[in-house]
Amino acid sequence: MDAFENLLYGFEIALQPEALLFVLIGVVAGTVIGMLPGLGPISALALMIPITYGMDPAIGIILMAGVYYGAIFGGSTSSILLNAPGVAGTVATSFDGYPLAKQGKAGKALAIAAYSSFIGGTVSIVGLMFIAPLLGRVAVSFGPSEYFALMVFGLTAVVSLSEKSLIKGLIAAVFGVMVSLMGMDLQTGTARYTFGNINLLDGIDFLIVALGVFALGEVFVLLKKRSGAAKQNSLGSLKLTKQEVREIAPPIGRSSILGFFTGVLPGAGATIGSFLGYTMEKNIAKDGNTFGKGNIKGVAAPEAANNAASGGSFVPLLTLGVPGSGTTAVLLGALLVMGITPGPLMLEDRPDVFWGVIASMYIGNIFLLILNLPLIPLISKILNVPRAMLLSLIIVFCMIGVYGLSFNPFDLMLVLIFGLIGFAMRMYNFPAAPLILAMILGAIMEENMRRALQISSGDWMIFVDKPISLTLLIMAALSLLIPLVIRVIKFINRKKA
Amino acid sequence: MRHLCKRFIYAAGVSGMSFALLTACGEPPDDPTEENNNEAEAESNADGNQSNDTNEVASDWEPENDVDYIAPADAGGGWDTLIRTTAQVIDEEDLAPVNFAPQNIPGSGGAIGWAEVAGHAGEPQPLFAASPPIILVPLTETSQYDHTDFTPVANLITDYSIVLVQPDSEFESVVDVFEAIEEDPQSVSVGGGSAAGSMDHISMAGAAAEFGVNAADVNYVPFSGGGEAMTNLLGGHVDVVITGVGESTGQVESGELRPIAYSSEEPIEVLADAGAETFIEQGIDYTFDIWRGIMGPPDMPQEAVQYYENMYADMMETSTWEGQVENLGWINNYQNSEEFSEFLDEQFELFEDVLTEIGLVE
Repeated sequence: MDAFENLLYGFEIALQPEALLFVLIGVVAGTVIGMLPGLGPISALALMIPITYGMDPAIGIILMAGVYYGAIFGGSTSSILLNAPGVAGTVATSFDGYPLAKQGKAGKALAIAAYSSFIGGTVSIVGLMFIAPLLGRVAVSFGPSEYFALMVFGLTAVVSLSEKSLIKGLIAAVFGVMVSLMGMDLQTGTARYTFGNINLLDGIDFLIVALGVFALGEVFVLLKKRSGAAKQNSLGSLKLTKQEVREIAPPIGRSSILGFFTGVLPGAGATIGSFLGYTMEKNIAKDGNTFGKGNIKGVAAPEAANNAASGGSFVPLLTLGVPGSGTTAVLLGALLVMGITPGPLMLEDRPDVFWGVIASMYIGNIFLLILNLPLIPLISKILNVPRAMLLSLIIVFCMIGVYGLSFNPFDLMLVLIFGLIGFAMRMYNFPAAPLILAMILGAIMEENMRRALQISSGDWMIFVDKPISLTLLIMAALSLLIPLVIRVIKFINRKKA
Repeated sequence: MRHLCKRFIYAAGVSGMSFALLTACGEPPDDPTEENNNEAEAESNADGNQSNDTNEVASDWEPENDVDYIAPADAGGGWDTLIRTTAQVIDEEDLAPVNFAPQNIPGSGGAIGWAEVAGHAGEPQPLFAASPPIILVPLTETSQYDHTDFTPVANLITDYSIVLVQPDSEFESVVDVFEAIEEDPQSVSVGGGSAAGSMDHISMAGAAAEFGVNAADVNYVPFSGGGEAMTNLLGGHVDVVITGVGESTGQVESGELRPIAYSSEEPIEVLADAGAETFIEQGIDYTFDIWRGIMGPPDMPQEAVQYYENMYADMMETSTWEGQVENLGWINNYQNSEEFSEFLDEQFELFEDVLTEIGLVE
């Protein structure tokens, strides 16, 4: 009951004309930034800090939160239409979204992305409202050993993402882990795989690899196939059949919840959430083998998960005062500048900020849905752009996005190199998804493994002594063994028959 | 409000006067380079420098172009906050005739940004935010430039290290922690918000060495940020955390975490109320400053340094600045260029000693 009273209070704040205006500005700006490949919510939020200065803190955070979840909402568009992920959290969306667009079902994919994003976002707000204070406690029970186990579990998805050849999938994954280890080691200060180049000391940003391997790799492939020039993709219908709705509803529900809890964990966030959602659905689905070839569930799951995770990431920020990701770290900085210290006391000291921002998220999500659906036909016009121009445009956008990450021209060369790697991988049928997955999870896995061993003074038992990490490791083992067992059983049955 | 207005008029008056001075006496050297791009301007300034050296008081210098104002890190961190906050105060209080344009040049713990600044030797800008890493990073040999390559402009603020434990921890003081480490180094894990050999590690290891424990025996676990370190303390994954006082405000005020020591010279009221004592109060003669200041390119013209050190001194008198300092939990710690420069050399010696003892520098 209490939560409802508080929510009403929050709506009082969020429904003020000023607040409504800034939610609208925030989500529109967020959507646009999200659509542009590479330009992510972090840089957008950093630019917002001076704008919010002098604003009422509740309004300021409402605006910034709007930019953040707006960007995750809008990020799916370029993933689907161009195979160029708009933000890191929408890489998984391109796995099935882009094939759908190629089949002339771009409209349907975009509509599913919008609905799933909306539901994922809304589920996470409900979660944020009711269980945020409790969840803060759960989130801290994840220490280095638990994170290590979670990442191991996540990496087992390489098997299901490997498509035809497991060996090629594993090679791609090992390459991904190697790339993720580049740069300065946090534990010893040693530079690894940097070839003495100062620009590599911080490692390679994940988006550079994603844009190179996916977007540029695709561009190069399209350039090679000259013949495809005449074929024009159509938007297709936006409408979903009853059958399709029935098909995507359960994945959206499951992925929303999974995404929310992933977002709650400090350090996990939208990107990992979307991958976990995607692989979970792929493993559960009866038609799992059509994932990656344009399965609508493959769009619904990551989109619901990443939006739910962006909501979930507010839990550690607002209840513990601890940022769980780069984006929420910028938000924390902005709050401090406005004179607000997020943390356990914020609920009592500044309920207007806490409940105001939660209520504004409901409104913002509705705005996003209303804005995005009618815009789909307009945005999809991009598909009618002549191929030569479109391909050049994708290259330009990738370059702008990558340059915007740290304004370092060196990154432009890197993205081209990864574009060529992506091209070669496609030519020789290496799947790109395991590379990306391993790159995201590899660094976190290694870092936490060594932290755990530092804490335990080198005793490996720390990974099995703790119940959460033990459970996760068992789940990882099962997810590797079960398909094998099934195969063996099938083999035996066939022999009998 | 009236107070503010007066300040504004004062500032406007001063800048107006100096502008008049500049136009009156500054004509000849400027003429040939009317188009002034940065390099040309720097040259003319360098010329001016030589002729002015004899007078010592060269208060007629003013920046003519917008100042490139660099945070050698991503948005959201300590350097970035300092750059954006000071740029805003300078703008609002009208302390300079030009804009301070914040820029992020992230990478390699600052080394990429420093390399950029080092390329502007002899020029009056860019200015950049600096803190202990400008000494630490070069010590571990990942930057070709170190603090002696740059011109210290002014030290602005400081934060202190704070040692935290869970509220029900057996450690009542930092002495308890060091005694436990002395007995069995493996038994105590100390989390911190920066890499091994960086600020938090040095701060704890330095205190341990002062107490008489082998600095290398501190079982330091690096996390990426004080926030992450504190989450791990909340979850009981590490026994002790060392981070900045500013970062821990939320947790200390709410009683989620208990402070047992901090590194300032004088007691701080909020922390004393929370039951913590300084290292000195606990009999360990040790202080550690997490200072943040502004530095400029190598061989910056003397009158530009003077101009900016005075500007920052004025900035710190304004009420806008006071408000920001309070919000962000900073502590004013102004040092002019000369004091800052001496301080940096002292810091270098301290860090080198501790890093050698830990075994990260030979």
